Amino acid sequence: MRGTMFLCVVALIVAAGSASAADAGRGEKLFVECASCHSIEKAVDGVGPSLFGLFQRKAGEVADFRYSPALKRSGITWTAQTLDQYIADPQKSVPGNRMPYSGMPDASARADLIAYLQKASR
Amino acid sequence: MVTKLKDVDVVVIGLGWTGGILSKELAQAGLKVVALERGAARDTSKDYSLPSIRDELRYVTRHDLMMNTARDTLTIRNNPSQEALPMRRLGSFLPGDVVGGSGVHWSGHTWRWTDMEFKIRSMYEERYGKNFIPADMTIQDWGITYAELEPYYERFERQAAVSGKAGNLRGRIQPGGNRFEAPRANEYALPALTPILSSEVFGEAAKNLGYHPFPRPSANASQAYTNPDGAKFGACQYCGYCQRFGCEANAKGSPHVAVIPIAMKNPNFELRTHSWATKIIKDSDGKRVTGVAYTNILNGEEFEQPAGMVMRTAYAINNVHLMLLSGIGQPYDPVAQTGVIGRNYCYQTGAGARLFFDGRHFNPFMNAGGSNISIDDFNTNWDFDRGPHDFIGGITIGAGFNTDLPIGYRPVPAGTPQWGKAWKAATKKYYQAAMNVGSSGSVMANRYNYFDLDPTYRNAFGQPLMRMTFDYQENEHKQGRYAAEMVNTIARSLKPTILNEASARTDPWSVVPYQSTHNTGGTVMGTNPRNSAVNKYLQSWDCHNLFVVGANVFAHNSSYNPTGPVGALAYWTVDAIKNRYLKTHGPLVQA
Repeated sequence: MRGTMFLCVVALIVAAGSASAADAGRGEKLFVECASCHSIEKAVDGVGPSLFGLFQRKAGEVADFRYSPALKRSGITWTAQTLDQYIADPQKSVPGNRMPYSGMPDASARADLIAYLQKASR
Repeated sequence: MVTKLKDVDVVVIGLGWTGGILSKELAQAGLKVVALERGAARDTSKDYSLPSIRDELRYVTRHDLMMNTARDTLTIRNNPSQEALPMRRLGSFLPGDVVGGSGVHWSGHTWRWTDMEFKIRSMYEERYGKNFIPADMTIQDWGITYAELEPYYERFERQAAVSGKAGNLRGRIQPGGNRFEAPRANEYALPALTPILSSEVFGEAAKNLGYHPFPRPSANASQAYTNPDGAKFGACQYCGYCQRFGCEANAKGSPHVAVIPIAMKNPNFELRTHSWATKIIKDSDGKRVTGVAYTNILNGEEFEQPAGMVMRTAYAINNVHLMLLSGIGQPYDPVAQTGVIGRNYCYQTGAGARLFFDGRHFNPFMNAGGSNISIDDFNTNWDFDRGPHDFIGGITIGAGFNTDLPIGYRPVPAGTPQWGKAWKAATKKYYQAAMNVGSSGSVMANRYNYFDLDPTYRNAFGQPLMRMTFDYQENEHKQGRYAAEMVNTIARSLKPTILNEASARTDPWSVVPYQSTHNTGGTVMGTNPRNSAVNKYLQSWDCHNLFVVGANVFAHNSSYNPTGPVGALAYWTVDAIKNRYLKTHGPLVQA
């Protein structure tokens, strides 16, 4: 019985993506790795595009930002899952993209970062 | 027709590291600051990101970020008996020409020069006697001490995101750092960069021979970082495109990242690009300057910008040139040994070996500007006895790639044909298998190494070019031979399959191949107006409201890269202006 309940909880966490279990506070600290290029304010592009309204947006769609053809062609819609895959190893996920970032290998760090972005990018 | 503009508090001429620091700080202090920059405004998001970057042809071969020799250049000769000829292409050194100056395309190596430089004459005379210093070697104490500069080094290191490992914290030797450095109050802003294989191989060899390897301090952020003024840096990606390129990851400490954007947000600050200063204007009594004459290089329009204070903050060589063109201070005469403007020009020297190891893979495309390992056993180590080797100065030895680019970097064993089938086979075989051990050597001031105005050649504005007279002297030949011997000893200890040995630069100096952008001197700092152009606060002895900030104030050149003390001196000068000059408006040191 106990075992089953535990399994249910795990399943719930997986279903909800990383948002509920992850630590958005830690994610905010991890965002410093992104902040030299990305803002989360609306229409404020840096070296990279603004991350405002990121989730459910298609990759390469911020107006006036010059994306790499690779990212524009990627067909990605940004969700917790696609973002997780991309941040883990950007060149593996979208070969030829222009983001000069080698990736965040730690899955729990990515979950925390995504949790922060889900809150902050709205 | 010259348009006379409205008076401002400060004109800053040249917007790189020193101009950026002074602009930001003086605008924050409430002064109305106008910066004149001959180059264009560029920034990371538009200009230093793909696909505009990682372009060897554009940045390395065609010098996209560097001065345009069709507009202004120098004439060059080795000694006063020769006729100097114009340098029509950049070669040996690469001054920047853009907002951010050479600080955009530098590698980031940020050293703290010590009292072994600032008190050079006293220290050598005390240890070796007056006769140890040759008669023509015009080295002198700088009039400043390491202790005075220490907090300002730290301020610059924090501003520029310098990564490193302290070797001496308040007198206590720290494992892993440079044990020969002068005491630091605090650790570096960021931990040291990750060493690359060639650095580690060198470090091991140096250690086995009893030397003391340490990671080179460099303004390449080893982690994401926010500087004290809120400028954000990304982490270095070891992309291998550092020197001669702007940084696409915002990880290199550059003025256009670290200080200029903060000045730009201040309403007291105004930037005018494409603005070429032709003269600093002296008052009729010659004791003050009243402003700057400049030309808009896009349309030829001429302006006069009156100002309460003038900051000359361009590249070292150009700072000296404008002083000569403006007639401020007495030009140096090497025969009579009178005058100060143009005196004590110094360069650097070096010797390097290339090692080839069959079967090894060094991945030379992967490096930071400063992912090197160095030893200072022959440099800031005063226990290293120069007496038996009979030279003055120091040698840093190190290894690790820095911007060894996919097209231009073609290591092949000595004797390989320079083109054709054999060259192709060798470059394929050895690209991965080679590493370097290199050294950088100081150059001592000499009576006959100096700047003056060229009697023949003129620039695009009709003004005389500056003439550089320079050659290595016997002191540098001896030091170079010793450096080559030490480099080869370390290299041989690694038992490479093939070794291209290091040799000293003893032929007459040539301006053609690239060597180093570390030009120093020409308006040196010092204790009195007879041996220096500026006082210890970089204030002109002649005109008290003129400050000349850059490596042009160095009284000689060390083996270290110059930007550490350049940045520290800029902050030191800012504090002297803010805390003292603005109250007195007079000389900060009495002549």
